Amino acid sequence: MESSFEQRRQEILAKKAKLAELKRQRELRREQAGSSRQSTTASPLGEVLSPTPRRSQDLDRRADVDSLINNILGDRRPASTQPGSPAVRATRPTSVVSAGQLSSDNEPASPARSRMVDGETQTVSIGPLATVYESAGDGQVTAEANTQKEVITYSKGVQASIDWTPPKPRGAGGSDTERDESPTRSPRSKRLSRRQKERDEEIRNQLRKEIEEEIKTAQQAPQDGAVASSDENYPFKTLTNEELTAVENSDDFIGFVERSTKVLERALDQQLGYDILADYALDGIDIGDEDERYGASAGKKGRRIKEIAQFWDERWSKKRMVSDLGFSTKFPELVLASYTKNPSAPHDPDGLIQVWNMHMHDRPEYIFHAQSDILTAKFSPFHPNLIIGGAYSGQVLLWDTRAKSAPVQKTPLTGSGHTHPVYSIEIVGTQNANNIISCSTDGVVCGWTVDMLTQPQEFLELTSPPPAKTDDMAVTCVAFPQSDPTYFLAGTEEGSIYPCHRYDRAGAKAGVDGRVKYSGHVAPVMSLDFHPTKGQIDLGDLVLSSSVDWSVKLWKVRPPAATGSGNATLPGATQQVVPVLDIAREDLVYDARWSPVKPSVFALVDGAGSLEVWDINVDTEVPVQSIKPSDNKRGAFANMPTGMGYINRSLNKVAWERNEGRRVAVGGMDGVVTVFEVGQDLGGVETRNEEWSGVKKLVNRLEGHGEGINGR
Amino acid sequence: MAQRSTEETLSLLTRLSQKPGVQSTLILSRDTGAIVRTSGLISNSSSANPNSTLPASGETTADNYVNGRKESGIHSAEDVASAVWKFLGAAGSLIDELDKEDDVRLLRLRTKKNELVIVPDPKYILVLIHDTPPA
Repeated sequence: MESSFEQRRQEILAKKAKLAELKRQRELRREQAGSSRQSTTASPLGEVLSPTPRRSQDLDRRADVDSLINNILGDRRPASTQPGSPAVRATRPTSVVSAGQLSSDNEPASPARSRMVDGETQTVSIGPLATVYESAGDGQVTAEANTQKEVITYSKGVQASIDWTPPKPRGAGGSDTERDESPTRSPRSKRLSRRQKERDEEIRNQLRKEIEEEIKTAQQAPQDGAVASSDENYPFKTLTNEELTAVENSDDFIGFVERSTKVLERALDQQLGYDILADYALDGIDIGDEDERYGASAGKKGRRIKEIAQFWDERWSKKRMVSDLGFSTKFPELVLASYTKNPSAPHDPDGLIQVWNMHMHDRPEYIFHAQSDILTAKFSPFHPNLIIGGAYSGQVLLWDTRAKSAPVQKTPLTGSGHTHPVYSIEIVGTQNANNIISCSTDGVVCGWTVDMLTQPQEFLELTSPPPAKTDDMAVTCVAFPQSDPTYFLAGTEEGSIYPCHRYDRAGAKAGVDGRVKYSGHVAPVMSLDFHPTKGQIDLGDLVLSSSVDWSVKLWKVRPPAATGSGNATLPGATQQVVPVLDIAREDLVYDARWSPVKPSVFALVDGAGSLEVWDINVDTEVPVQSIKPSDNKRGAFANMPTGMGYINRSLNKVAWERNEGRRVAVGGMDGVVTVFEVGQDLGGVETRNEEWSGVKKLVNRLEGHGEGINGR
Repeated sequence: MAQRSTEETLSLLTRLSQKPGVQSTLILSRDTGAIVRTSGLISNSSSANPNSTLPASGETTADNYVNGRKESGIHSAEDVASAVWKFLGAAGSLIDELDKEDDVRLLRLRTKKNELVIVPDPKYILVLIHDTPPA
């Protein structure tokens, strides 16, 4: 009994010891298992995590995570047995090198970088990390590049399932051996395999959780990252003096400044007109003082005139007079102004043309130069880029808005062309066949083609017809009718207006047609303007002339054919034609121009500095509107004593906007160009039939009246 | 168009920066983002090239600008430059998404206090900040 008890006790002890040993063994195994798990969770994580954040958001994240885990856990065995590991190893040195380079460059995006650091602490090899570095390093400085590269990085990151093999051969003993044992171990004991399963599941969960977390942070990273990287990457590069001067002298830069400042000036000027963000509910916008401008003579609203822009440039307009004005037909917002020389600036070019833009008030759109004062200039009606001008030197010049400020073509200073100042230029013909006709004060009329200004195509010398004491004819201006480019009128310094032919024709030689003389003015004729017929009734024979004899006259010119036949009966005798309407003004009249759209409306400017708009259907004795440019822009004479005010205000030229006839530009002695807008009744494309017939009737009546009096 | 000398080109900028309401101008290089020229902005980095600031408007607007700066909340040329750079990048990618062949030509950004007008060019960017007209 005793022995059996003793035996039993020993048995129990042995069992206990066995148990204890078992326990110890189990503990040992657990330790081993724990360490192996740590390494398995850590190493794939480190590798997988760095690429995943970059994975784009639009993929199904859950599926990603699962597949990733499956990849990691499922592919583990085949991957570890893959013979590719040496190859991976082989690539490693280069990638390490590239990582080294990059870190010295300090350029990679910060999120990627921090992740690397994480990975390294988790005992992961640097192989895959280096790969990431490499691709991120390819990205250049810009933030966009970085984000783009990140996508690429990800696709490389997928290879991590292969890449992570390197830790295996390199990794230290325990965990790896156990992992390799695992397939063999499963038949050994069920408990172990179950534990393995449990462990796998645990790993799976943990992985999933961590990856999801990582993805979450990665989602935020792009935003933070973008800000951070653009801040970091924004090149606050400071240019050195040399670089700066190089940049500033480059044509690119000069051209850019030219373009962009124009855009900005337009943008700023446009804003002054109207604030598109105006909220009328918040506070009333002041519409108040607009009506004051129209002055006491405003009368009917449709006849008002309003000043809308003034152009003057401190640098260029100073001390120059406006010699000619013209609107572009293609771009109605462009106004061309030619100027005489600035006597106090001998180093500046004498001749100047500034093209102003209605949307840019403080600065000309273009500036063109010439060696000599430009006396007349206009946009070519047939080519929107070309500007044609006549100079004091007798040259005819051609500028191109696409070229530089110097003329692209000019006539030579030889006897073949003009040797006297060219005060008058016309472009006649059609789109496909047009000529420049220039006329100088010695009576020489030349025809040129736009393509070749070296030699005149036509040369015609106008001479005074027989009764005159001298042959010389001082032509101040010429005008062509709309219908016939072979025939024109020439106004002279002595006050007569002569019809002229460009070519020999039946009954008349080329040159002045001496059989007809339009006499009425007693002082130099300053302007001639044929009626621009665009309406139902042909008023093309009406001519408006202005003169420094303080008058404007309306003429009905004889058609050239009728002139010939009429003169057949009285050869040699000069037929005197008197004006149908004589409008006396209170000052020198420098320019008078028909409205391009309203048949009865014309505008004139005078030495007193007034712009007058007339409507001969309304009144033939007083203008419907008279207005003076405001003093907003200080012109050349602004500093002169007030006694000079008379000269100072004189206006030389007037020009209508050709398409709609709503705008009138005037310019004068002080070099300021002022643009007015006329009301509905004086401009605008709609014209009524009565207006045309009214003018016709008026002219008929006046003609009968004039002939009754027989030339006063 | 007219071939202008450098001085004249710069005088265009000066004149632009002196237009009424204009607070500041800034020219950046498009490809590197380097500040080529500024006016009415304070540079916060001591390493900045003093020549990159417009001399003509430098002294005059600097004083005025201190006030404007506080209320508009703009700190320095560098800040503006990087903000504009970023904004332009965003605008560019927006246009890219809509139409690959299209390009940004003008940006006007109106705020309560002022307006930014940005003219991007292939090589440079001109930025102008001005007061919105009282309305």
